[in-house]
Amino acid sequence: MSKAFAEQIRTLPSKREPAYRPAVLIGPEERDELAAKLGDASNYDLGLLREMVAQDPDNIEFRKALVSGIVSAEYAGIDAFSRKVAEWQQWPVPWELILAMARQTWDEVRHAQLGTELLENYGGKVGEYPDTLAGAPPSEANAAVARGQGAQNETQQAQIMRDPVISLSVTNVALEGAALDLFKGTSELGRRVGDDLMQLVYDYNWADEVTHTAIGDYFVKALCEDNPEQEERALRAHAMFEGMRERLSGQQSSEIREFFAEEIERGTAALGGDGAAR
Amino acid sequence: MAVRILLEPCINCGLCRRACPTETIRFFTTGHRTHVVEPAGCIDCDICIPICPEKCIVPDETYVHDPVELAAAKERAKAWAAKQNATRKRIRERAAAAVAAVR
Repeated sequence: MSKAFAEQIRTLPSKREPAYRPAVLIGPEERDELAAKLGDASNYDLGLLREMVAQDPDNIEFRKALVSGIVSAEYAGIDAFSRKVAEWQQWPVPWELILAMARQTWDEVRHAQLGTELLENYGGKVGEYPDTLAGAPPSEANAAVARGQGAQNETQQAQIMRDPVISLSVTNVALEGAALDLFKGTSELGRRVGDDLMQLVYDYNWADEVTHTAIGDYFVKALCEDNPEQEERALRAHAMFEGMRERLSGQQSSEIREFFAEEIERGTAALGGDGAAR
Repeated sequence: MAVRILLEPCINCGLCRRACPTETIRFFTTGHRTHVVEPAGCIDCDICIPICPEKCIVPDETYVHDPVELAAAKERAKAWAAKQNATRKRIRERAAAAVAAVR
């Protein structure tokens, strides 16, 4: 694949029919619509929606919102992994990694199909609820990962996030690893409320996510072999991503705090504090 | 007894680490990309064993606990459980409010 083609793909916007409509960018009117369906617009949150479905299994809007939020991430996955297939042909990576990304793209297509049909089974459709990940600006966690690798501006951030070691550590291992909780929990929710399709769809997705995490871990190991600096970059990217997500949910682990203790001390000291890591 | 992680099949998904009530499964501070159990903090709760998708967490029958360390680890687990319960309660209450609001 030519360099020009990879460059062209990089500049192509993400598209879908219906068009992406990121939840973080919706206007007041749509927030009111969400509030009417879910009690409050801020309830459009996957963890909370699972509990809402558990408490009121007869409310079909709760199920539609939950599945919409998950399927939106699957569309984002198709976009992200198919871009890696094109872009990584310009990086010194094993050919098998490109093939693995192609396989993963098709897995995400299958997940999107399953989610879309599950949604239609509830009488809903893609685009009825806003998108959770797809089409959204780069997350705070991704920006933090790139800054943690020395990025000074958005161009450098984007370049660092394309680096296979960083990208695999963040997307395949940290993000897909965390998605295992989501899929296991949603499949279990389907079992609890007697929704056989929900149970089956997310059990299927869970098995694929295990493979995706394994793919990421295998290739991060391969790309870092005999290269402690690369391994340190991979660990740091993973820690930064997980740490940001945990901080946003207010549940940061003591190991993450320990990992960044030195930097926290330096930062606190620079701000005139006592430097004690908390 | 404690548990240990077989490094070869481990895919570093982190499920065990995030589920461990004593945070005794380490990853970021091991110096390598490997999940390792610090046995002194393991209370043999066995939460990690069934959730591992690769079935690579096994009992470490050679490890003998220091009773003081074990008691301290159990205290950490109690604090962890209290925090988890508080979080779950908050989510349940928020969900109940949402259900009530749309009925």
